[in-house]
Amino acid sequence: MAVSFDRERLGPLKDTVAVVGVGETDYGADYRGAGGKAMAKGEVRYDSYTLASRALKRALDDAGLKKDEIDGLCTGPTLSSERACELWGMNPRWSGSGDAAQCIIEAAMAINCGLCTTVALVYGNAQRSMDTAYGGSRVTGGGITSYFYYAPWGLTSQGALYALLFQRHKLLYGTTDEQLGAIAVAFRKHACMNPNAVMQKPITIEDYMKAPYVAEPLRLFDYCLINDGGVAIILRRADMAKDCRQTPVMVSGFGWSEENVDATQLRPRLKDFYHTAHREVAAQVYPMAGVGPKDIDVFATYDSFSVHLLASLEGFGFCKEGEGGPFVQNGRIEIGGELPCNTSGGMLSESYMQSWNHQPELVRQLRGGLGQRQVQGAEVAQYVHDVAGKCKSIIYTKGG
Amino acid sequence: MATPRPIRSMDPYAEQFWAYTQKKEFRLQKCCDCGKFRWPPGPTCDKCLSDEFEWAAMGGQGKVLSWTTFRRGYFPEYPAPHTVIVLELDEGPLFVAYPVDMEVADLREGMTLSLRWTDGQDKYGEYNLPVFGPVSS
Repeated sequence: MAVSFDRERLGPLKDTVAVVGVGETDYGADYRGAGGKAMAKGEVRYDSYTLASRALKRALDDAGLKKDEIDGLCTGPTLSSERACELWGMNPRWSGSGDAAQCIIEAAMAINCGLCTTVALVYGNAQRSMDTAYGGSRVTGGGITSYFYYAPWGLTSQGALYALLFQRHKLLYGTTDEQLGAIAVAFRKHACMNPNAVMQKPITIEDYMKAPYVAEPLRLFDYCLINDGGVAIILRRADMAKDCRQTPVMVSGFGWSEENVDATQLRPRLKDFYHTAHREVAAQVYPMAGVGPKDIDVFATYDSFSVHLLASLEGFGFCKEGEGGPFVQNGRIEIGGELPCNTSGGMLSESYMQSWNHQPELVRQLRGGLGQRQVQGAEVAQYVHDVAGKCKSIIYTKGG
Repeated sequence: MATPRPIRSMDPYAEQFWAYTQKKEFRLQKCCDCGKFRWPPGPTCDKCLSDEFEWAAMGGQGKVLSWTTFRRGYFPEYPAPHTVIVLELDEGPLFVAYPVDMEVADLREGMTLSLRWTDGQDKYGEYNLPVFGPVSS
């Protein structure tokens, strides 16, 4: 069903909710064990609740709020709401769960309905300690989903599905490996300006091209990290946000649309690059916020794989379909360029927090004062959640 | 003994699909009410929600949409390099398989390939796996 912007109902929700606090764990320090070497997969250091609790405490401190001022809770993967509430001694009036963008939208609705005023959104994932598998024999045999249904033919992993998407893009539009490589190089450059990022060593396009393929045509640096971490975000009713420690960042627009028909067949992925969902989300998020792609100062997309950026830039109208390859070259997506993207280093180079880490980064860019990583004059930031057809977007603006 | 392969995702509808492969029949569900093909197998037509369907024989030809080559091994049964293709069947559904009787370097966007069978087994038993190769002249 085609989505259009409900100006009467969605329009008035602009700027009714603010981000007042953000907290993250020490991604880089937690990644490295004794002697600065990366912790081995399966070498247990933390569990998800340890990480989530630490992030929550930091987000509350950032906001200058006490935990008893939280009256709504959203839990992300891999947490159970029941255990989280008990662990943190919370009796919320409302709770939700889901991915980061989904939780932000749900919390904004709950606050606007009067169900709660101040929501903590918390994520924790000890995926390196737990040696979480994202492909191969440990993720076969369950229900129906494209990433393991085709195991009998040897197709497995999210990475291979995005490799198929990029190969299709190459075949249709002549996109080159060097063009895709510009994304990993830019995000790594950003990570090197972020002391909390896991990856701190710059890479060149030559390094990118020399790195081994995993699922060709995707190479090592097209893949996200596997690391442990936690993220928390505090959302509050805008009229109450002024009492907090930080300058509020407003939630100015959001949109949601999904593209699931024949998803296991890979139809929306390979025949559409999920652009139908992108266009429908764009048709909500931009008019709600009263801005367009040209107004976006800082951009972040879900980047479990570099190629997400090509698809979302094209789908949201930053460039024409098929022109993502040339668009991302020559520094355009780097800090100092026309559209700085994934300025924390993203999930490729900062931390794979399944997009939760993008939200604090965009909030901090709008607060300002990030030193060399600061996007000068940033007033409007956009997050795009482009994950296997479950598309959402959030637009944040600098509050007064 | 048939070739061991990574385990199939099994349910009552998948069971029927794989049972046909034992006779080397490549059949997908087709809705009796609106005619839409569906894959993977399932109880309901996603277009009209009808649960009336037939197992329609496929012509066994499709055009190449995309492919990927695993350079890192994920399954012991499929050591790297292993290439997987996605085809658009003449009847409309997209279908994942792997190429046989040809070089990966010869794959082209839109090229027509045709059905072959190879054997397979897992804990659910023996079956035949539909794979695709060059159209025989």
